[in-house]
Amino acid sequence: MKLRHYETFYLLHPDLSDEERTSISEQLQQIIIKGNGEIVKIDPWPLQKLAYRVQKQTQGYYVVTEYGALAESISEITRRLRLNEGVMKFVTTKLSNKFDAEALAKARNEPAPPVETVEEVSDSIQSTEKREEE
Amino acid sequence: MQNPRNNRTRHRRIYVRRKVCRFCADKSMATDYKDCRTLRHFITERGKILPRRITGTCAKHQRRLTTAIKQARIMALLPFTSGHIIKD
Repeated sequence: MKLRHYETFYLLHPDLSDEERTSISEQLQQIIIKGNGEIVKIDPWPLQKLAYRVQKQTQGYYVVTEYGALAESISEITRRLRLNEGVMKFVTTKLSNKFDAEALAKARNEPAPPVETVEEVSDSIQSTEKREEE
Repeated sequence: MQNPRNNRTRHRRIYVRRKVCRFCADKSMATDYKDCRTLRHFITERGKILPRRITGTCAKHQRRLTTAIKQARIMALLPFTSGHIIKD
């Protein structure tokens, strides 16, 4: 049995209270831990405007959960999210076939490499946009 | 005899600036469906995916970009069409 690196991204109903939202994320954590998985990070986003209406709602809370789990836990997570009325949309993606918790923690602590080329590139993109206008 | 039209295209060619793939230039930048702010640079006002010839993205990254945009649309981060955009 091998842990794989997954990520579940879900959209919650805007009318849910803080407690209801944390309870949903705790439910997911329990499933993952029960299935011998490991949680990497949980990142709840603030209330955000949606690109289009979902269940007649114009806003919603997004939550990103990154974890290592066995394939069997994924079907259970999917089933739970589907049953939950507060979850409007969700998607689970496999980030990698291997899950190495230590390497992930290391990568997180190291600062991101300095970005040098950004200015130059954005410049060239602006110029292409200008050309489009012409 | 030279075709005047041919001549003009050759003349215009000089001014074409080589576009650089943004994702190749900045290796730390990965296509991520959750990062809708970056993805917005690669769609039109109507929500359509911009072609490679306009953005200058390389083939490899354009493929990843399309999937990312499509996933972002499913998650309501990006619009499918401008007709569905919520007006204030």
